[in-house]
Amino acid sequence: MPLLATRALTKTFGGLRAVDALDLHLEEGEILGVIGPNGAGKTTLFSLIAGSIPPSAGEVLLDGVSMLGRPAFKMVRSGVVRTHQIVKPFPNLSVVENVVVGALHAGGRATGSARDRAEEVLAFVGLEDRTHAFPGTLTLAGRKRLELARALATAPRVLMLDEVIAGLNPAEAQALATLIRRIRDERQVSVIMIEHVMPAVMSLSDRVVVLDRGRKIAEGTPTEVVNDSVVVDAYLGENHGGGSA
Amino acid sequence: MAVLPLVLELSIYTHNLMTLTFLSVAGALAWNWMGGFLGQVSFGHAATFGVGGFVAARIVLWAPVPAPLAWLAGGLVAGVFALGAHPALRLRGPYFSIATIGLGEATRLLFTYWEDFTGGSSGLSLPIETALKHRLYWWGLGLVVVVTAATWLIRRSGLGLQLLAIKADVDAAADLGVSATFYQDLMIALSGAVVGVTGGMWASYFSFIEPNDMFGFDRSIGFVLMAVIGGVGTVLGPLLGAVVFVLLRQYLLASYPQLYLGVYGLLLIFIILFEPLGLTGLLRRLWRRLSALRGKA
Amino acid sequence: MDRFIDLALSAVLLAGLYATMAYGLGIIYGVLRVVNLAHGGVIMMGAYMGWVLHRKLGVDPYLSIPIVVAASYLLGVAMYRVLVRHLPRGAAGGPASLLLLFGFWLVLRNGAYLLFTGDDQSITTAWSTSSVVVLGSQLSVSRLAVLAIGSVIPVGLHLFLHRTHLGRAIRAVAQNPDSCTLVGVDVERIYAITFGIGTALAGVAGLLSATLFAFNPGSGSSELLKSFVVVVLGGMGSVPGTGLAALILAVVEVFAILVLPSYLTSAVGFVMLVLVLVIRPGGLFGHRVLG
Repeated sequence: MPLLATRALTKTFGGLRAVDALDLHLEEGEILGVIGPNGAGKTTLFSLIAGSIPPSAGEVLLDGVSMLGRPAFKMVRSGVVRTHQIVKPFPNLSVVENVVVGALHAGGRATGSARDRAEEVLAFVGLEDRTHAFPGTLTLAGRKRLELARALATAPRVLMLDEVIAGLNPAEAQALATLIRRIRDERQVSVIMIEHVMPAVMSLSDRVVVLDRGRKIAEGTPTEVVNDSVVVDAYLGENHGGGSA
Repeated sequence: MAVLPLVLELSIYTHNLMTLTFLSVAGALAWNWMGGFLGQVSFGHAATFGVGGFVAARIVLWAPVPAPLAWLAGGLVAGVFALGAHPALRLRGPYFSIATIGLGEATRLLFTYWEDFTGGSSGLSLPIETALKHRLYWWGLGLVVVVTAATWLIRRSGLGLQLLAIKADVDAAADLGVSATFYQDLMIALSGAVVGVTGGMWASYFSFIEPNDMFGFDRSIGFVLMAVIGGVGTVLGPLLGAVVFVLLRQYLLASYPQLYLGVYGLLLIFIILFEPLGLTGLLRRLWRRLSALRGKA
Repeated sequence: MDRFIDLALSAVLLAGLYATMAYGLGIIYGVLRVVNLAHGGVIMMGAYMGWVLHRKLGVDPYLSIPIVVAASYLLGVAMYRVLVRHLPRGAAGGPASLLLLFGFWLVLRNGAYLLFTGDDQSITTAWSTSSVVVLGSQLSVSRLAVLAIGSVIPVGLHLFLHRTHLGRAIRAVAQNPDSCTLVGVDVERIYAITFGIGTALAGVAGLLSATLFAFNPGSGSSELLKSFVVVVLGGMGSVPGTGLAALILAVVEVFAILVLPSYLTSAVGFVMLVLVLVIRPGGLFGHRVLG
């Protein structure tokens, strides 16, 4: 049984079908890439899975159990967490305090005090020297790591990353990509990542799903998907190697 | 300093003034849990003050219950009453604040005309007990100590962090597992309960309460002013703010009663424009400047 | 049946007033994203302005409309330039803008107390007591005047916003201030003008209200709340929407008299406010109102 699955998941806003009868699944220990042209419904998909918005139809299943009607904060406690495309650190809390907020909701999947776990996660992402700093003083790369650390602190089973790599220079991007792989390898977290930066998606993902206008148009290994003409058509005009958000 | 009466013979005037200050401090601290920590500025807290006061007064009038128990009961009822604002809690920022103006005023009207309970515009009179009035000093001080300790603990704990997270970004907080509704309900009930207790103590102190005053908009404004003048969202702030507020009030009422509102209005304006953290902000700036000077020397 | 017509007409007359007030609050929020908590205070000042002109200079309240409009407009521009300009825009300014304008409201209240004492006043003229027969009911001329003026204003405003260059600029800034800066629109000037328009509307609403009801320096909070109810219910940028919302509020208030004791009718506005805020999650001007 897949760890996470969506069944005919649909979301309409007014007349627009942002997500259209989507079926996808995430296996335990996988890194699943989600790609597609702008407006394909990727972030909406995350919001649906995370429970921030209710579906118009269909459902999300965790371990085969329907999560319908479960709001975001409960999803986090069940082990599903997401990061945001535009990072949202709490400006009034220090770096470690930001992470503690996440650490408080690990839902029994972790032991030890929230503070200790927060510091451990900060060390894992490499922000331990900024523990008491405030988010406003961090660089973009730092703030992306903070966003990641906060989500990790919830001891998730499913971590959804929304364009974490976009906007970083090649060195930073490489470092973050390595971090993501370590998250999957060392912390038993399964990852779904939305990304426009193609090299990252291709090298990190075990499988890739391609969305266009709310629908899944292709699915498979990175190589299969890249060579799929349907996908190439959908991206009409976008570069394989140069896309950045 | 507050323990001076044990050592010195304070004038009745100062003694009473300090009692009132204690009640204001406790109320301001509790208001700040909502306004400063959660970021939901309430312009209607007088509603809980009044409920606490009248419930406590009614209990005392009904049976020989020791006053402190009556105050507690008043606080409890006030806390539950505050939960009535639950639907408004889901509103963001300014919408919540305006809703509280509405709720506060609606409460005032309702209770003013519930004459059987509140005595209408004639109000309620309680038997005057000078001994109790004197002891209220210590009860007030005790309440301040408890509420200050609670505030400090909240700020330092995971609860405090979650409240501040909700204040900063309620959606991002939810995405990390924080249940905004739960904490909003919890804090408004606690905040309302404490303010309700101060209402009961106020009733015992003055031995006369009247709904237009207890539930009045001016009283609700008082809470906001105390917290903002002192420094909204800090632990020290409401404390300083309440002291300044009470003292300023005494001075103004004695010397320039006609400038009362205007002075507060101007204070608010100056604070928002120049030092949003009020007195606490000023003190912090001073502290930093002094530290910098010491560092150079 | 007669009573019904009486009440219905009363409601319609009141609706014009409410629509004008609501527009004053709404246009400031729509363009600057600031809730003018001093709105009630400005309404109160408008009432006093008219009263002073009437009392001291014998100016008929309806003739003093242009004066009150101009004075209130200037007050608004000053409020923006001196106070509101220094606040961060949007959500960040939230509690700060509320408190700042609230402080200013207190100053206005105090000013009024000092100048006019706390006594109730109203503007009574020959019009207040004369009446006209409409649909078989006696209607006071002052109420009709309020309806007439109160209806003309929103229509005039709508035309202004849609047919004039300045009006279009204001609407553009409401949509996207940054883009406007890029194409050379002086956004700060637009903000000041808009604030002035908002307070001008509030001022004239206060003047009109003074011909119908008594007022004192403490007045304004129920006007603020009612304006808010209408704004949330009606939605911005829609004259028919605001008009309809104003009518709904007026109708509910007027007919509540049948059911509730008189002193509770003002509570109706307050309760409606809370209900409206909770039941209409569609949001104010497309923004998320609920947490």
